[in-house]
Amino acid sequence: MHNDKNKLGIIFFPAFDWAISPTHPEREERLLYTQDQLWEEGVFDIKGVCEYKPDVAERTDVERAHFCFPDVDAVTTRSHMIAAGGAIRAARLVLENECDKAFALVRPPGHHAMKVVHGSRGFCNINNEAVMIEYAREHYGIKRVAVVDTDCHHGDGSQDVFWHDPDVLFISLHQDGRTLYPGSGFPTECGGPKALGRTINIPLPPRTSDEGFLTVLDRVVLPILDDFKPELIVNSAGQDNHYSDPITNMNFSAQGYALLNQRLSPHIAVLEGGYSIQGALPYVNLGIILAMAGQDFSHVREPDYNAEAIRQDRRIDDYVDALCDQLPALYFDPPSTPEDGSFSNGCYVRKKNIYYDTDGITETQVESLHLCDDCLGVLKVESKSSVNPKSLGVQLYAGACESCRSLALDMVEQARLKGDYRFIQFINRCDKEYSRYGY
Amino acid sequence: MYLGIDVGGTHTDAVAVENGAVRASCKIVTRHEDLLASINGALEEILAQVDAGAVRQLNLSTTLSTNALVQGRIDDVGVLVSCGPGVDPASFAPGRHFYIIDGAIDHRGVESRALDKAAAARAVDDCRKQGVNVFAAVTKFSIRNPSQEIALKEAAQDADFVTMGHTLAGRLGFPRRVATAYFNCAVWRLYNGFVNAVSESIRAMGLNCPVGMLKADGGTLPLDVSRSFPVQSIFSGPAASVMGIIALCDIRQDSVIFDIGGTTTDIAVFAEGAPLIERDGISIGGHPTLVRALRVRSIAVGGDSALSVAGGLVRVGPQREGPSMAAGGGRPTLTDALNAAGRSAYGDVAASEKGIADMARDYGVDARKFAETAIRSAVDHIHQETRAFLAEINERPVYTIHEMLEDRRIVPNRVYLMGGPSHSMSGDVREAFKTPVIVPENASVANAVGAALTRTTHDVHLFADTQRGFLLIPSLELSEEVGKNFDLKAAEAEAKRRLGERLREIDASTGFDDVEITESSSFNMVSGYGTVGRNIRVKAQVKPGVLERINQS
Repeated sequence: MHNDKNKLGIIFFPAFDWAISPTHPEREERLLYTQDQLWEEGVFDIKGVCEYKPDVAERTDVERAHFCFPDVDAVTTRSHMIAAGGAIRAARLVLENECDKAFALVRPPGHHAMKVVHGSRGFCNINNEAVMIEYAREHYGIKRVAVVDTDCHHGDGSQDVFWHDPDVLFISLHQDGRTLYPGSGFPTECGGPKALGRTINIPLPPRTSDEGFLTVLDRVVLPILDDFKPELIVNSAGQDNHYSDPITNMNFSAQGYALLNQRLSPHIAVLEGGYSIQGALPYVNLGIILAMAGQDFSHVREPDYNAEAIRQDRRIDDYVDALCDQLPALYFDPPSTPEDGSFSNGCYVRKKNIYYDTDGITETQVESLHLCDDCLGVLKVESKSSVNPKSLGVQLYAGACESCRSLALDMVEQARLKGDYRFIQFINRCDKEYSRYGY
Repeated sequence: MYLGIDVGGTHTDAVAVENGAVRASCKIVTRHEDLLASINGALEEILAQVDAGAVRQLNLSTTLSTNALVQGRIDDVGVLVSCGPGVDPASFAPGRHFYIIDGAIDHRGVESRALDKAAAARAVDDCRKQGVNVFAAVTKFSIRNPSQEIALKEAAQDADFVTMGHTLAGRLGFPRRVATAYFNCAVWRLYNGFVNAVSESIRAMGLNCPVGMLKADGGTLPLDVSRSFPVQSIFSGPAASVMGIIALCDIRQDSVIFDIGGTTTDIAVFAEGAPLIERDGISIGGHPTLVRALRVRSIAVGGDSALSVAGGLVRVGPQREGPSMAAGGGRPTLTDALNAAGRSAYGDVAASEKGIADMARDYGVDARKFAETAIRSAVDHIHQETRAFLAEINERPVYTIHEMLEDRRIVPNRVYLMGGPSHSMSGDVREAFKTPVIVPENASVANAVGAALTRTTHDVHLFADTQRGFLLIPSLELSEEVGKNFDLKAAEAEAKRRLGERLREIDASTGFDDVEITESSSFNMVSGYGTVGRNIRVKAQVKPGVLERINQS
């Protein structure tokens, strides 16, 4: 076992007065038993483990990562701003060297929130990790970040936010989309034209257990991370792969989660889903915390743990082996063009229909990336939904070339003068300016 | 009339207080090898000045348990724990006789693994063979279900003394519960011997009043009740001083209190006139415990702190190398600086002046200026530490959006000074803190005044689970059935009622009216698509307070 002890900052914000609805899984009670377990175990008395208060994210922090229509206030509540602020605090702790590692144990979650936000989907409104990463990149001069999403549901929101960004490596381990919400996350989805191989999806069959997850970690995730050499590793720490989770079908255990975090050794973990609030979360969170703090976690086990009952089938072993043989190539030798979309007039264009299950909103989107040989280009998203008329988002990336910068400014100017957009939002990472029009 | 005795590290102070006035006081040197003699000596001096028959209450604050622990004069304790999986208990096991007994309770209070009673019996036998006869019985989550602790106690039924973890406090924190139960047992024999002796000599002096023992949280416990909870008497010294300042001054605002002693300055913080209590308990010998305490920070600056020069800066403390030169010491201290700067005239002023002048000459500075610089350095250090302490207090985590948005911050606008150099340093403190500074009369015996006037405190945690149909108040060893309709309001009323009853049992002078609810929450528990019950947590307490105030002229 590890003898290195890390200084671990924990931002614990259970939002005991916030729920989507009284009996919704995302309700007041969700982290109650986790708090009981952590306090009873004396986690905050462990040398090197410290509790911190979350920041409250500001409107600009959200506008740096998302196109929100009609605006940030309309699609968020205070609790979303505190959850995102908790993630920001985690990044600050690590990047200001106050802690070696940090865990934002906050709710509500965020990894289903996409680049464009009209409301809540998959219990998520804004993407806590994306808000945090863009904050960190703007304030601390870091560039390369890896996000490893270990929530049972495909992190389709994070994938969408970073789809065109070659400096963010997004890897998602999840239950196969053919058997679970949101129905995406197949290996063929591997990034936009400028970021091919920087999105890696690892769909696992139902009833995959500790061996399966850890094998994939060792044979796919870690070798890719070794090569990518991120400055920051973030774990989107969903806990619904647990064998007791009520809305998924996997067989991962608290010990497995702890081992995964020990080997992955993320700088920052951010809580995502996980709704077995009594049988899983108290033990999984304890395991993750001990692993991140470099403490002995070998005694962490669920009271009803039974290795035999959750042992994975031989056929799953074989399936996982096959995945491990094939998936690294997606990163090391990515395809030359994206699986979907088309190229026209120097742009890469995709059309998307998005359903916001939590709020019952439908959205149609045309996303086009102006392709540039000198920089990441200019991203333009036309979006229309059941709650908002046609609106526009334009993003200029950090380090954009002068010609793309002019193009983006002109694009926004023309849209304001002649376009039929109700709302326009401009993310100008180049000049660190975030503006909205149409109010 | 109320009597208070504070047995401190250097002095034992005693006072008699009546109708808002200090009728008698004395200060004698503490005899560490014989604390009983110190108490008797102080009592005799006071009773020579006032009538023993008029005394309604005597309160003691003593370093007995603290010293015993520091010096290792404690009993071996058999520690029996049942904890199941989780953090490895080996990482916090106190003492040499630590036994993990198979068995576990989960966070809802459900027994997830039965207790191995035979193993518990074997552990007790094993201890007995090694001459160990006091036991701590502690289960993880025993405050949700004490049954395994009760069974562990039964396994040790012929022992001299057994502490069950859930009787000590209703708060979560298994390692703290283990440490608290351990220390409670470790000082039990010594403490009870002391209580016997004190009771005897008090009676011999003609006192028939109730006797209270001061606790670290700024309250007292009746002497007889304290026999089972000796760990509560630990570190009561700072509490005596803080309660003293409450009796001497009518504090109503956010304030900071400094008690400037010989080797340290204790900093306490008041929010809207009430002293802050540690969110968690104090640490004893490096082990965090569940012993409630006022939130006090000690820093190594005091009258006897040695002066030194490093990198062109004059420093005060942290080391103490004997008393000040004014008191016959060999090296200049803060007290000497105050003398040399003409702020005070304590002891041998000429010796102070010479010491400071010699030191100043070594660094080629004017003696007066050197003394002033040293005083400013001490005050700056106190100022910085106070700011850091306040920042830490204001950074405390919160768990609801409501509290997050409310963001109540403590911003002191009064400073109260007590301890030897108070008067001579008040100007510098005022300048550093930019707030009014108050030095109360009788500040030199504030600790004994605090001991005299402190009233009984008590707190209870109530936990109810309406799905499983029970409520528990662990520290009262109480469990009841509750119906599906039991709600937060009923829980608050029950907690208040039970605490009130308990108070009347142990001390008639503290009224039911003083009970307040400090934590209160109710969560709907959901299973499938419906609510199946409520998970309720309530904390009720009598907050620290004084029986009366001293009139200031």
